[in-house]
Amino acid sequence: MNASAGAYLLSMVRNKIALFFTFAFPLLFIVLFGLLFGGPGHMDQLAAGVLDWGVGNAAMFGVAYTIVQWRRDDLLRLVRTTPTPVTSLLSGWFAVVLGIAVAQAALFLGVSLLPVFGLTVPFPGVALLPVVLLFGCLAFFAMGVVVGRVASNPDAVGAIANCVMIPMAFLSGSFYPLELAPHWMTVVSRFLPLRYLNDATRTVLTGQYDLVAPLSALLGFAVLFGAIGLRTFKWADNG
Amino acid sequence: MIIEIDDVRKRYGERNAVDGVTLSIEAGEFFGVLGPNGAGKSTLVEIVEGLRPADSGTVTVLGRTPWPRDLDLLARMGIQTQSSAFFTRHTAIEHLRRVAALHRVPRERADEVLQLVGLQDVAETRVEKLSGGQRQRLAIASALTHDPELLFLDEPTAALDPLARKQFWGLLKTLSPAGRTIVYTTHHLDEAEALCDRVAIIQSGRIVAVDTPAGLRQRTGSANLEDAYLKLVAA
Repeated sequence: MNASAGAYLLSMVRNKIALFFTFAFPLLFIVLFGLLFGGPGHMDQLAAGVLDWGVGNAAMFGVAYTIVQWRRDDLLRLVRTTPTPVTSLLSGWFAVVLGIAVAQAALFLGVSLLPVFGLTVPFPGVALLPVVLLFGCLAFFAMGVVVGRVASNPDAVGAIANCVMIPMAFLSGSFYPLELAPHWMTVVSRFLPLRYLNDATRTVLTGQYDLVAPLSALLGFAVLFGAIGLRTFKWADNG
Repeated sequence: MIIEIDDVRKRYGERNAVDGVTLSIEAGEFFGVLGPNGAGKSTLVEIVEGLRPADSGTVTVLGRTPWPRDLDLLARMGIQTQSSAFFTRHTAIEHLRRVAALHRVPRERADEVLQLVGLQDVAETRVEKLSGGQRQRLAIASALTHDPELLFLDEPTAALDPLARKQFWGLLKTLSPAGRTIVYTTHHLDEAEALCDRVAIIQSGRIVAVDTPAGLRQRTGSANLEDAYLKLVAA
């Protein structure tokens, strides 16, 4: 396995707090909101919203936290002294981020399928979900690389990531349908990647196939933030 | 020449950290870089390692230019930095396997270098639980996974007590078999005298003297390198 992927995965599975926020916390949302507002016909909206928020959060927070932690521990400097290119460092992390997203989807959707929550998954359309997750992870991973550049310490990562993700979740209709929101929110949501990830996931979970627009938008965010992240990448705090 | 440094300068604000250093290091030398704290040793070595750029002057390492980051050159150099870094929540052997993977050498190299630095008994211990001396040994092992021709060691004994430091010398002496060049930064003069073929003394970013420890003693009429150093730095 790629060294950066392996190191990231191992320090993740040995970190109980990260596991809690990646898997247990969104699951709690599914169960709680599912019992309150779920049931057949509602659960696809809800499950998609919580899944996307969980995936986006884990992708962005995971890579940003790793960058800051590795820079602070001089691990990036250690990588800097080896013939490993930045792209291979980042692609290793990305592979783990994507794997985590697939595991999140299996868990959250698996639970949502229980009769008490009443999600129904349309076949074969749901086979497109990994593609949606790939594009979603690309966008949020790229944003995470930028957050990791800006944040000076691990606490700052939490603060910045939450400041980005919590308002974005509400403005993108993660926890309720955007159709019920005021018009201005629909307009604002068009500038947010989470809205397009929600659009794509809901399309797949309702058995539709028109993914070109949301996936293009996600790719656009990925290219924009990816370019910023790569151009400004910093190996050490002091230079 | 393995390393050629020609009139290298580096400024930080008003301060000349490296102020016109010219120096060559030959293949197979155990070369000591000595000087008071803040003399510019680390900055100079980091420029040679390619971790930061010089403001002016040229540096050639193994016939190549270390800045910007040169992956082919890095494959031939081992770098142990002062702030030793370890993969979090990893055991000693897991850490070395990661480093071996970063260098694209077989994972068995991790076991070999662990043995080489005498850490096989703590292979399964998490890096966070290792003692200061064990961490320094692990840091050196990390710089050796790919069997580099050129090895940089930056004050590896700084955090060790006097006994551990003397024990460490034994390990350091085994690191320079035929051909490997070692650039060794330290401010322990007894260490430099025991280990180094030649030393450069740096003060305020300039080279005060470059010679063998014996040559420096003779030149200053001193009984040991420490006296020679004090005379040269005070001069």
